Parts: sequence; C-alpha cells; structure tokens
Amino acid sequence: MIFSRNNVFITALLGAAWMAALAFGARVLFKYETTPGRTGVISARWPSVSIIPRPTDKPTLVMLAHPHCPCTRASVGELAQIMARAVGKVNAYVLFVKPPGAGPDWDDTDLRRSAAEIPGVTVLTDENGTEAGRFGAETSGHTLVFDRNGALVFGGGITASRGHAGANTGESAVLAALKQEPMLRNRTPVFGCSLTNRSSTEEGKLCSN
Amino acid sequence: MFELAALSAIPEATSDRAEELFQQHQRQIFRQTDQLFARLMLFQWVACIIIALLVSPRTWDGGASQIHIHVWSAILIGGAISLFPVWMTRVWPGTVATRHVIAVAQMLMSALLIALTGGRIETHFHVFGSLVILSFYRDWRVLIPATVVVALDHFLRGIYLPYSVYGVLSASPWRSIEHAGWVVFEDIFLIISCFRSIREMRFIANRTAALESSDQRSRQLFDDAPIGMAVVALDNQKFKQINGRFAEMVGYSEQELVGRTPLEITHPDDLAESERLVQAMLRGTERCCVEKRYLRKDGGILWATRTACIIRDKDGNPRDFLIMVEDITERKRAEAALRDAKVEADRANHAKSEFLSRMSHELRTPLNAILGFGQLLERQNPTAQQRARVDHIMSAGRHLLNLINEVLDISRIEAGHLQLSVEPVAVTEVLEEALDLMRPLAADRAMQLHVDAQMEEDLYVLTDRQRLKQVLLNLLTNGVKYTAIGGRVAVSVQRSGPTTTRIVVNDNGPGIAPEKLARLFTPFDRLDVEQSGVEGTGLGLALCQRLIHAMAGDIGVKSTVGKGSAFWIELPAVGSPLKALPRNRMRATDDPSTAGAGKILYIEDNLSNLTLVEQMLAEQPGIELLTAMRGGLGLDMARQHSPDLILLDLHLPDLRGHEVLARLRQEKGTRDIPVIVISADATAGQIKRLLAAGARSYLTKPLDIGEFFRVIDETLRSRQPEAAVA
Repeated sequence: MIFSRNNVFITALLGAAWMAALAFGARVLFKYETTPGRTGVISARWPSVSIIPRPTDKPTLVMLAHPHCPCTRASVGELAQIMARAVGKVNAYVLFVKPPGAGPDWDDTDLRRSAAEIPGVTVLTDENGTEAGRFGAETSGHTLVFDRNGALVFGGGITASRGHAGANTGESAVLAALKQEPMLRNRTPVFGCSLTNRSSTEEGKLCSN
Repeated sequence: MFELAALSAIPEATSDRAEELFQQHQRQIFRQTDQLFARLMLFQWVACIIIALLVSPRTWDGGASQIHIHVWSAILIGGAISLFPVWMTRVWPGTVATRHVIAVAQMLMSALLIALTGGRIETHFHVFGSLVILSFYRDWRVLIPATVVVALDHFLRGIYLPYSVYGVLSASPWRSIEHAGWVVFEDIFLIISCFRSIREMRFIANRTAALESSDQRSRQLFDDAPIGMAVVALDNQKFKQINGRFAEMVGYSEQELVGRTPLEITHPDDLAESERLVQAMLRGTERCCVEKRYLRKDGGILWATRTACIIRDKDGNPRDFLIMVEDITERKRAEAALRDAKVEADRANHAKSEFLSRMSHELRTPLNAILGFGQLLERQNPTAQQRARVDHIMSAGRHLLNLINEVLDISRIEAGHLQLSVEPVAVTEVLEEALDLMRPLAADRAMQLHVDAQMEEDLYVLTDRQRLKQVLLNLLTNGVKYTAIGGRVAVSVQRSGPTTTRIVVNDNGPGIAPEKLARLFTPFDRLDVEQSGVEGTGLGLALCQRLIHAMAGDIGVKSTVGKGSAFWIELPAVGSPLKALPRNRMRATDDPSTAGAGKILYIEDNLSNLTLVEQMLAEQPGIELLTAMRGGLGLDMARQHSPDLILLDLHLPDLRGHEVLARLRQEKGTRDIPVIVISADATAGQIKRLLAAGARSYLTKPLDIGEFFRVIDETLRSRQPEAAVA
C-alpha cells in the first residue's frame, strides 16, 4: 500500500464520482417509483356496451391489467386483501388485456393465475383491449368500483407506488366504497405498464411512465 | 474468564511486543474482512441483477416490451455501489477509509435490494445482516457510517416514500425513530461484541508475547546449559535440536547431528541397553538415567550420564525426548585407575601376607630352639652367672617373639583376617588372670597392683577372651614398665553406660604430654622413649587399639604430665551366661597324679626342635617317644607302632605335613590316633585348615612348655580307658 499523493487524489476523485453516481441513480429510481401512469377518460357510469355482466344485487369491481406487467403483481396482491375483507359484498372482475396479434397463450402468465386464485374474482381476457377502452383505462392495475346502480364510485390504483405492496389510499377507498362508507378520495394515481401500445414519446408510456 | 489481572504483571518489553502483535493481528483482520466484503459486494451485485431479471425483467406497453428499469438499476447502480469499494480493497487494503466506504456501500446495497424487491419487509433483514458482517472488522467505528446511512435512508423514505419502508402512505415521525432504534439496538450489542473481541485479541497478544519471551528464555537456557542437551523426536527418534555443549562433547555440529539418531553415535556395546531404554520410554516410562558411551567424531569415546525425559505438548501427548548428557569420562578414568590400584594393592597385600607367613615361620623356627633350650637351661639349676646369661637369651628371644606376634596380629587385622571368638566373658576372671601374670614383674619393680575393691563380680562383656587378656596385659605391662620403681598401678572396672563396661588402668608414672597423645596408637612410634632404656616394640598400643575396635569397643587415654596416665577400654556389656547354665556343671581340672602316659611319635625334620621335645618329654615318666625326620618314615612308624599320640611338623623334606595328616586319617590303623600339629605358621587360616583336616590340636612354635604338657596330658588321658579316668 503506497500513500502517494496521486493515489489519494485518484481515490478522492473516484469517491466523489461514486457518490455523484449513486445520487443520480437514486434520483432516477425515486422518480420512476413515484411517477404514475396515465388514467385516461373514465366513464362515470357502467358502459352500456360492455359485454361484462353486471349483477345489480351488489357493487361491481373491475381491474384492468396487463398480464406481463411486474408492477401489477402488487395490485393483484392488494386486490386479494380487499376481497378477503369484503367477502360476498362485491362482484369482482380482472380483465387481462390481450393486444392485437398476440398469440393464444400470451396472457397465460403467473399474474393471471394469481388473480384467478383469489376467491370471488372472475378473470377474463380483454381481446384487443376493447373493454379497457370502454372503461377508459390506460394503465395496468387501474381499478374501478361501480355501485348496484352502475354509477362509478371509485377509480384509480390500489398501490402506493410502482410495484410496492402495502396499505394505501386506493385500497382504503375501495373498501370504504364496498361498505358504503365515506371515502377520503375516490380518485388515485395508477402505477403500472401501459395497457395499449402507443407510439407516444411522452413520459410514462411504459411501466416507467 | 480472562486473566486480565495477570497481564498487568507483564514486563514492559513484553508489553511493547504484545502491542506490536495486537496491531499485527488487527491489520490482518482488517485485510481479511476487506477481502470478505470485496467478494460479498461482487456477489450481491450479481444477486441484484438476477433478482431484477427474475422479478421485473421487462416493462410493457401493450404488446411491446423493453428491459425493465430495475434491471438497468441493478446493473448500473448495483455496479456503482460495489465496484468502488472493491477497488478500495485492492488499493487501500486494511485502511480506515476502505472500511468506512465498505460500510456505506453495504448499506446502500441494502437500500437497492429493498427497492428492487418492491419494499418487501423480508429484504430489510439485509440491513441487520450487513451490520453483523461489518462487525467482523472488530472496529465499532465502522458501524457509525453504516447506521447513519440506514437512518438517512429511512428518514428520507419516511418523508418521500413512507410506504416503501413502512408500508403506509403517511408514517409518524416516531416510526422512523423506532426503525432507527432497532438498528441502534443491534449496534449496541455489536459494539459490545467488538470491545470483547478487542480484549480477546489483546489477551492473545499478551499471551503470545509472554510465550515468545518464555520460549526465548528457554532456548537461551538450552543453548547456554553447562551440560549437553538435545531434543529427539519421539516418532523417528532423530535429533531435532542440540545445544553447544552437546556438540562440543561429541565433536559434531548441530547440522551434522540433526536428522541422525542418538543410536548412530552410541558405542556398539551400549546399543542394546540404549534401545531397551528407548522402548521403555515409548511404553510410558517418564524418565530414565543410564551411564553409556558415545562415539565422538574424532573416534574417541565419551563416557556420559544420560538422563532422558518426555516432552509433552499442550494436550499432554508425548512429543519429544529431552536428553541431558553429563561428561563423566574423567570420573570413569579415575574409577578404572582406582580399580587397577585396588588390584595392585590386593596383590601387594597378598605378597605381604605371604611374606609375613614365611617370615613368621622362618623366625619362629630358630626361636623355638632358642627359647626352648633356654627354658631347659633354666630348669637345670644354672649358676648365677649362667642364669644371668640365660635370662639375656630368654629376654631377647621373648622380645623378638612378641615383635613377630604383634606384627603378625596387626597384619591380620589390617587384612581383615583376624579370627575372633567373641563371646560373653567375665571381666573379673580375665583381669585376675592378667594380674596374676603381672604380679611377678610388679614385684620385681617393687610396685603395687591395686584392684578396685568394689568391682562387681558378674560384669560380663562381649569380647574374645584371649584378645582381651592380651590387651589388658599390654596395658598393665606398659603401666608397670613406664612407672618408676615403687610406683602404683590400679585397675578399676565400671559400667560406663547402659550397654558398655569400662576397664581403666591407672598409673602414677610420668604421664604423657598432650601433644604426644595423638601419636600414641601409631605403630612403631614409641613417643621418644627409646633412650629411656625401657624395652618395647612400639606396636603394643597400636595393636590394642585395632583389637578393641575389631571387638566393637573403644580405647582411649587421659594423661597429665607428672601425675600419671589412665588408659581405658570400653566394651559392649552383656548379662551373665552362667545364670542360664546348670549350677553343677564344673570344669575338669588337671590332676598330676593321673598324668597321661603312653607312646608318642614325633615327626620333625629340624634336629633342634626334635631334641628339644625329646628333652622335655624325658622329664615325664611313662612316656615313650618315637621320632621320625621324614614324613614317609613317620607314616610307616605310625602303622607299625600304633602310637597313642602323634606330634606332626608341617614342613617335612619328603611330604608336606598336610599330606601326612591326610594319609593318617585315611588309613584304618592310624585313623583314630590323635595328631597334634606343631608348626611355626601361626596364621589363623592355617590353624583352621589343619583342625578341619583332623588334627586334634595346633601348637605354635616357639612352644610354651606349660601349654605343651597340658595338651599332651589331656590327649593321652582321653586315650586311656574310662575306668582309669574315673
């Protein structure tokens, strides 16, 4: 080990660069985790053209999801929490968007299987994202709650940030809607991949949008 | 429990070495832990990438996808976190800066992992694990930057992304404190652990320094020992180490001996014994000592006392032999010289004994004629002038005889050949006999002989009767001779202790000067009285001392010049043996009226001796004397005349006396004839041999006429019919 001035200088220089790189990386990660996806124009009532049946005996929950989105795992996890705490109080659907040209097994993912295992949840395939378009959802994990009359009572994400599970405002709002209790917020940001392929260059077009 | 108190007693020099060892150990730990973290960093980086690829490999936009930002984060941020500290471990190993950079990087890696796994609570354990691994440095200061990074991370996330660390959107400030508290909680125990480790390291360093010092001292003692020392391996029995003295003894250097076995330099005659001892030690004998010979490099022989013992390791298992060698070559040479000298002395002693025996015989034979004829002349009523001349002859003859006897006695005692017949002896009886013999001499000098009137009658001592009498006669004779005419000699006997009896001979003679007392018992030293006109050989007291010591007694003297001397002898006291005997057992006494008569054959080649005995026996009526001057003739006469008694000389011209005696005992006709040997050889061994061969008695020349007649009478009487005796 030689304590030469050059060595010390190089080390100090590298140390400074190291800290700068780490600060930059932390900022990028932080920005990514805290930037929500686009929510689109959400219909205030149950779309009349939707082919999904809506029983009128209880509220209906619809989650639009991308079958390959890693961030949506946290949303499915939160949905499982909601369903466990609102057994028999809601009709729940998870619609996995299948883009045009996708193969028959494209949406056969572990995420879909996880969702299918949640009691009371009906998993459907949304061919070409038709239903997503009818509901106005553009980001995976977008969750909508309609009352027995078909009126939208909640619309947004049920995770606090990208891919992070845990208690959050969206989850609380859904549970309150299902129990017909007052909600703090009925709109929350959605964190997930884009449901449809857009050639837009604007920020947030992918999962990092 | 560490013996910290004992460490305070470590000398300063050792303490400096302990500090050096401690720092050396600490640097080693820092470097080793740096290397550990270098590998861990690289492993964690790869793990991050793998986790990112597994959990979130791609991000999607409808049907299109691209690599997820988590993968890029794992590669780029993870790489940035890892590579710099790894570089530091290469460039600055073991330094404070490296340790602290590693601490920061390790905590940042925890943060990255938490982010990549979506804030999974399980990933938070990485933080606690990392703190524990950081404590491997045994430097509590490293925990500070690590803890600061964790606290900052939680604090900032608590503000901006509370759900990423707490799982809720809005966390109370106390939540951050609680999380930091758990980290500090762990830090406390890790810091305690670090301090303990440091104490252990210091303890080990102190111990090592003390051991090094001890080893150094042991090595110095080994090297500087005045005896030869060597360490021999137990497994192959080869030298491992030798000291300078050993090398000097055997003439080999340490390099020449290491790798060889002690048996290779052992004398061939000692190999078997050495091998046997080695095997005994291998079987468990802890220590053995032997005198053996080593072969020196120059071909010489080293005699040595070799002591070997087992050296054990810290677990008590035998490891080596320690051999200690002491040079005894000089001692062995001295012993050999002593042995040779003893052999030479024995040979000289034997020659002396032979000389004395011959001298005794050669001197006694003419003395026999001188004294015998002198005694006959005394009995033939000589004139006054003749008597005076005969007295001169007898006096000179007796003086010469005494001298021969005393020289012979001293010679026997010094050679350990003195035959003693030690038995309980009544002191008063022996004393009376001695006094009776001394009275004529005392009367001639007008001296008084006094005996203690209160002397006990039954005082017995354990002694040889004749020798005690000899000693008493010597002391009494000295008292009478050296005391002026008209003087006084007194004898007393008393118990001097519970087991001793003392006989004291007092005189009122001139006394002996104190400076001469030490020479009193020296042979032939007459204390300068040669000019006094008193006859003496200078051997009497020397012989008395040796005789008394041979009988387990003691002898001494007290003397005052001008007042007289008191010679004493002390002997072991015993009880009276007569008390245990029947009271009516009486000793037979000589009776002149029943004096023996018969036929006597005297076989003797010396004419003077023959004539002497003829004349002596001519005075005895009833005795017929036959003579023969050769052994063969004597045997023939014995067969022919069947004498009642045979007197036999041992030195005959044709046959030796032993052979004549043996033939007499073998033949039927002569077997029962008693034989009395008359010889000038007065050695005890000779007497014993002849008596054992069948002689009835043994008379020594010059003959004591009284003793001669007594023996003759006893023998002849025993040959007469019992009725006549009765």
